[in-house]
Amino acid sequence: MSVDIKTSMPGTPPRVIKDINGQELKELTKAGLQWLKTNQQTVNALNVFPVPDGDTGTNMVLTMQSAWDEISELSEKTAGKMSHAIAHGALMGARGNSGVILSQIWRGFSRALDGAATINHKNIGQVFAEARDTAYKGVVRPVEGTILTVIKDIARAAISSQGTTNNLYEILESIIAAADLSVKNTPDLLPVLKEAGVVDAGGKGLFYILEGMLRYWQGLPLDVAITAIQPLSAMNLENTLEAIEPGQDFEVVLDFHPDNNLNFEDFYASLEGMGTSIQIGEGDGMYRVHIHVPDDKLYEPIIYARSLGTVTKVAIENLVAQMSEIENQRTTRLQLTNVEPGQIAVVAVAPGPGIARVFASLGVAGLVEGGQTMNPSTQELLNAFENLPTDKIIILPNNKNIILAARSAAELTVKKVEVIPTRTVPQGLAAMLRLMPDGEFDDVVAEMTRAIDEVETGEITVATRNVEIDGVQVNEGQIIVLHNGKLVASEEDLTEACLRLLEIARAEDYELITLFYGNNLSMHNVSPIVDTLREKYPEQEFEVQEGGQPHYYFIIGIE
Amino acid sequence: MREPAMKIAIVTDSTADIPADLASTLQINVIPTILVMENISIPDDQYFSRDEFYAKLPQYHPLPTTAAPATGVFEDKYQQLLDNGAEMILSIHIASLLSGVCNVAATAAQSFPGKIRVIDSQQVSMGLGFQVIHAARAAQAGQPVEEILNGIVAVRTRIRLVAMLNTLEYLRRSGRVSWAKAWIGNLLNVKPFVEVKDGQVLRAGDVRTRNKGIRRLMDMLQAIPKFEELAILHTHASDEAEDMRSQLELDDSVPTYIVNVTPVIGTHVGPAALGFTVVQSA
Repeated sequence: MSVDIKTSMPGTPPRVIKDINGQELKELTKAGLQWLKTNQQTVNALNVFPVPDGDTGTNMVLTMQSAWDEISELSEKTAGKMSHAIAHGALMGARGNSGVILSQIWRGFSRALDGAATINHKNIGQVFAEARDTAYKGVVRPVEGTILTVIKDIARAAISSQGTTNNLYEILESIIAAADLSVKNTPDLLPVLKEAGVVDAGGKGLFYILEGMLRYWQGLPLDVAITAIQPLSAMNLENTLEAIEPGQDFEVVLDFHPDNNLNFEDFYASLEGMGTSIQIGEGDGMYRVHIHVPDDKLYEPIIYARSLGTVTKVAIENLVAQMSEIENQRTTRLQLTNVEPGQIAVVAVAPGPGIARVFASLGVAGLVEGGQTMNPSTQELLNAFENLPTDKIIILPNNKNIILAARSAAELTVKKVEVIPTRTVPQGLAAMLRLMPDGEFDDVVAEMTRAIDEVETGEITVATRNVEIDGVQVNEGQIIVLHNGKLVASEEDLTEACLRLLEIARAEDYELITLFYGNNLSMHNVSPIVDTLREKYPEQEFEVQEGGQPHYYFIIGIE
Repeated sequence: MREPAMKIAIVTDSTADIPADLASTLQINVIPTILVMENISIPDDQYFSRDEFYAKLPQYHPLPTTAAPATGVFEDKYQQLLDNGAEMILSIHIASLLSGVCNVAATAAQSFPGKIRVIDSQQVSMGLGFQVIHAARAAQAGQPVEEILNGIVAVRTRIRLVAMLNTLEYLRRSGRVSWAKAWIGNLLNVKPFVEVKDGQVLRAGDVRTRNKGIRRLMDMLQAIPKFEELAILHTHASDEAEDMRSQLELDDSVPTYIVNVTPVIGTHVGPAALGFTVVQSA
């Protein structure tokens, strides 16, 4: 091995490396592993293909780790034998698709070095060409825009640069430049990457391995994640968090002009001591820092930036509060399901906005407002499904007074429409759970119809006149209890009414009680009532939802 | 006249969930799949029991991920079987739409041209296991390769695998099933049903309570006119699985297995899932 300058700082004269022996290859492998490990989460976050399970970085690290474990004690001098050991380790520890391909790359790499003492400018083209060929063979159906394309471009760069220089340092530089370009190009080859706005994870992992090797030659640290300073315009500070982890209480974004040239390594390391999700943008002599910090370090980035220069702008957001707001929006958004032609679509009648949201979350394609005192017209029902791009429609009237209008609508269209005679909201929900949009229409209708009987319904409302029905005498203004549509009791008190219902319905024999409270109540009124019910029925599970229906204090499902 | 029987070895992976004693009787070679937790690879069924795993699963953040065994592990196993006299190896694995195992096995098989047939079972757990068991029995009976391969396909078409998950959360977080990944959450708590068919995980309706779900599983089983073999699958819900078996009142002619499913599948579906796989009678 001949490394002329090794532990120099960036910007020093070009290095000259003529060959790589077994021990140097070992060091390079270690450096590749370390740098990949440092950037593991970045690679994980890119993972959308072939399965978006976010473990490409982890799998590549495990594969490289297994290769390293195989050679860490080896004193082998030749590159040939060392590369065989690396390949064997990678092969035995390959994890995931990218890991398998990575192990194939090593296998081809070592095959080309059979019996070779060193890697040099004469064989390096062949080494990467063989790595490429073996990688392609390791995949049943090769897909471009992946790590395969990247190794292909690397091999091309190795072959073309071996003719222009005998310096492996320069060859590695051009290989990395080609890898970088190739990775950036992956979204143009693989649409799924473009849609997700990412580059290929496996290709990026391979890039990091090679870059780690170069950084080792450059004497640069391998254990500090350096998200290179990006142009300000390229910074993406949109909140992409799915969940807040401990220590991410606040997001701080600040702009500052440093008094002197910034020592980026120190700067980054200091920020790392304060928080996570660090991004740094640069433009026009100023820097923008983005960082997530825990509660007790909220002001540290600002104090630190002030010690380095002039802070011009600070924005702080409470991530915990923001997250719960996002969560809230997610649950209050009313998103109807898009059906494809040929699929089965469901149109549900909902008496209140809360109930409408629940139906929407279960996958209805159309909603019509309506209930006890506001029956939708046949035309309104017709409108709800006439424009759906399918001709297989199921209507859930969810009220006995709407079933007839629904049937009329069904007769007025050329589409195939079935009315499942749900008389209550809980019945409609029970039916909705069995929807299979791609199933046989008749089977699905039968299954959804069967589900209606799986739930008991209670309704708590107010008597609008004095009357006696089924032996129950009620006076106007009294609270009345209906069980499966039948008047069963009258009470003066709401809690008593709920208790009566559960008693009559024999709630102790069921598992789950779902209460939808009406627009005349709020969670504030409802909580103490539910507490009482829970106390009385400790074995049963209670679920409380805002139904938003008028007139009815509660619509209750018992199942 | 028939040719003298070829010596055929059977290989599968641990997602087949074949009971260990049966695998050993039928000389089925099981290669452990991998669970990855905190950058450590754990081969299936090493270091902790399945029940221990499921008891802890809700506390893991992020969820353990899974990986296929390495190419080299397959190559070593194939080599060893060929060295011991196998003339042909049938390597039968978890659905390729859900896992990379088939791809890895096929890569390893390239080193042994003409000796290894890699078969995508299009199933998971005992849905795969029953196909492997069938192949192993046929191999022991001295059937020729093509006949065994046809037999595997014939069994596959008669398999049904349905499960009730306790929550869709794990399937969503695992990211392997696109509809589950896109799921943003129901406003109601539900127990989703899934069915594995043609290598895909399909939605099969929801129920709201566990007992209703168990009844639905029983209804589905009882609606099948006749079946040859049954496995009740669960992730740490053995009491309910036992209850299901006793309620079915099957006679002894139907072999029934109760299987605590491998964590390599379980990390994607979560604890307290319950379901079945049957081989329906022809």
